Amino acid sequence: MAATERDGSALAGLLQAALALPILVVPARAGAATVGEVGFTLLGYKEEGLMKVTEPVLWGDAVIDEKWELSASGVIDIITGASPQLVSNATGKPVQTITGASINDRRRTYNVKAGRRFGEFTFSASRAHSEEEDYLSHAFGLEARWDLNQKLTTLTAGYGKSNDRVRSSDNPALDEPRYTKEYLFGITQVLSPVAIVQSSLRYARGQGDYNDPYKLTLTFYPDAPPAFLPDTRPSSRDTWAWTTRYRRHYPSSDATLQVDYRYYHDDWGIDAHTLEGAWQFPLAEHYALRPALRYYTQSAADFYSPTIPRPTPEILSSDQRLAAFGGLSPSLRVIYRNDSGLTVEATAGYVYNARTLHFGGGGSEAFETLRAYYGLFSVSHAF
Amino acid sequence: MPLTLQRFTFRAMAAENEIQIHAEARSADAAARAAVEEVKRIEAKYSRYRHDSLLSRINARAGAGPTDIDEETQQLLAFADACYRQSGGCFDATSGVLRRVWRFNEGPAGIPTDEALAAVLPLIGWERVVLGDGTVRLPLRGMELDFGGFGKEYAVDRAALRLRDCGVESGMVNLAGDLAILAPQPGGVPWRVGIRHPRNPDAIIASLPIYSGAIATSGDYERFIEADGARHCHVLDPRTGRSARGFQSVTVHASSCVLAGSASTIAMLKGATEGRAWLESLGLPYLCVLEDGEIVNAMGEKVGAI
Amino acid sequence: MRILLLAAAALALAACVSVAPYQRGYLARPDMAFEPSAGTAEALGKTYSAKEAASGGASVGGGGCGCN
Repeated sequence: MAATERDGSALAGLLQAALALPILVVPARAGAATVGEVGFTLLGYKEEGLMKVTEPVLWGDAVIDEKWELSASGVIDIITGASPQLVSNATGKPVQTITGASINDRRRTYNVKAGRRFGEFTFSASRAHSEEEDYLSHAFGLEARWDLNQKLTTLTAGYGKSNDRVRSSDNPALDEPRYTKEYLFGITQVLSPVAIVQSSLRYARGQGDYNDPYKLTLTFYPDAPPAFLPDTRPSSRDTWAWTTRYRRHYPSSDATLQVDYRYYHDDWGIDAHTLEGAWQFPLAEHYALRPALRYYTQSAADFYSPTIPRPTPEILSSDQRLAAFGGLSPSLRVIYRNDSGLTVEATAGYVYNARTLHFGGGGSEAFETLRAYYGLFSVSHAF
Repeated sequence: MPLTLQRFTFRAMAAENEIQIHAEARSADAAARAAVEEVKRIEAKYSRYRHDSLLSRINARAGAGPTDIDEETQQLLAFADACYRQSGGCFDATSGVLRRVWRFNEGPAGIPTDEALAAVLPLIGWERVVLGDGTVRLPLRGMELDFGGFGKEYAVDRAALRLRDCGVESGMVNLAGDLAILAPQPGGVPWRVGIRHPRNPDAIIASLPIYSGAIATSGDYERFIEADGARHCHVLDPRTGRSARGFQSVTVHASSCVLAGSASTIAMLKGATEGRAWLESLGLPYLCVLEDGEIVNAMGEKVGAI
Repeated sequence: MRILLLAAAALALAACVSVAPYQRGYLARPDMAFEPSAGTAEALGKTYSAKEAASGGASVGGGGCGCN
């Protein structure tokens, strides 16, 4: 038997013989499967006269040796114009007014997550840290993933814990704890070669200080001296979030439908529904367009009131985030993706939150319409 | 006019096969029909299982006179000759006679004895095949030619050529896992090729993003006999008559399916150590699963395991 | 409880499908991912949760923020 040829002449011999056949020969070209990605995202947010946030996010993830999954992200928020707010009925109707100087705050956060695959199981641990002048958060999470049924089904279970401190730029003495424990159960199911759905239920139980140190309520009465109350909320909050996400690809038009729905419930009396739909389709070679519409509606917290009733209740908040309202948010994203793994995304969005958009009517009278714009720019590179 | 992805499935060569084409519906139909016709033409001409095939007629005249063959058959036999020479004799298009003594559907009783093998081994020997001017002659009565390892692969490449001739730019021909990809999908998107897990027909060990070229896999899982903890597979060494050992499967990516198919089959026959060295010497991207289940990924950075 | 029953029913319906691994190419597309890129998810999530009472998605351990 001939010795193994090392100089490629075996290939030359076979190739020559193959080329002599009346067949199609095309270059053998394989793509780079993504084993990792790094990216940078910049968010600009403008709310009518109120606030501007510029948020650069740097993030990356990688799969190493097909066993280790690592991801990390870091954020620096620059928040300009977050201001103390007073809800007062001095003019007859309760309205929000700004009191005091605006706050320039800077939020720094980082998240790291590491996971290891063991056959059908993947276990991961994560750590998150977030720091603002008026808020500090340390969190960790544990997650287990189980691939079943030839990977058609994936079950996920998670546990998380967050130890936070609530502070205030106005009041250096404020430093109150808030603890949250989270539990997650999720299922991901492949429905067909072009459809996949994920449903997960998250329960979180939090205890500690939920008061917003920047929110105050001032109420004038026709027949009594005015009352003044800082934001006072329950010292615990149990929340449920049920999130279902569906993705369906249409090969004939090369387009993808994305639908997300979340039902949220908490023991403050808030029920919220979020429904988002998006349609991503090719625009030209390398370019795709993704128009999306998000609808949000929530009921008011039991203790929400823009005015202080008599007798003065123990807990009360005039924060309009706890009011009954709804919101519509259309957005348009342009995506450029080339063969070398570069992806550039630009998104423009509009947020319109109003009393009248509360599902079924009956939004809170005092809710002041919010109009905001945002622009999002993201560059990432897969390797 | 927007292109849409059209998918056609058809049965041929005892398997479910598919063609996928990015084209307008009408032109895709015609192209797919031409490609399927080509596959069926090759099957009818070179199948060992059809008594009226050219191959069966050549085999029926073994030990007698030469058979006239056309240019296509001469080219294929020239390719078989190159495979024999480049493989150092372990790829032999006359080894089909071993199937007379290997009965893969009979369990351990189907494994041939040394005596049974000794009776057929003398009928194997590519160097004895007489290629004349437009003729082929098998000198010994009972000798057999078969196109295993490049016949189906040739059909893949021919079907791909028919698609191209019909104006298809982006398409794929997949004959039971051996496939050719003409060009990337619109927008420069690679096709995803899942490589079957050799021990679990429903699982894949890797998903390859392939822009173009052909993929062929040779494995020990199509027909085999388990006996005393050993697997006797249908890839048979013409020198010993026994099953190839060392690999569960070998997948090769090359510029044509005949090249990928012959490379993977020869590697399988050479066994783990020599086979891998041989694949390395070819310089073609490959992915193989060793006997103990270890996956050797020599697609460089091109592979994403699922 | 009703939520759990619905989820269980969805699972029961889905359990009878079969998708051969070689057919799963489309599922690996970036636009079939549940989350957009990490940066986009993070930035948009915080933007909405600063204006709404509801928060929390399909992950745990992310920690809280002041979000005023």
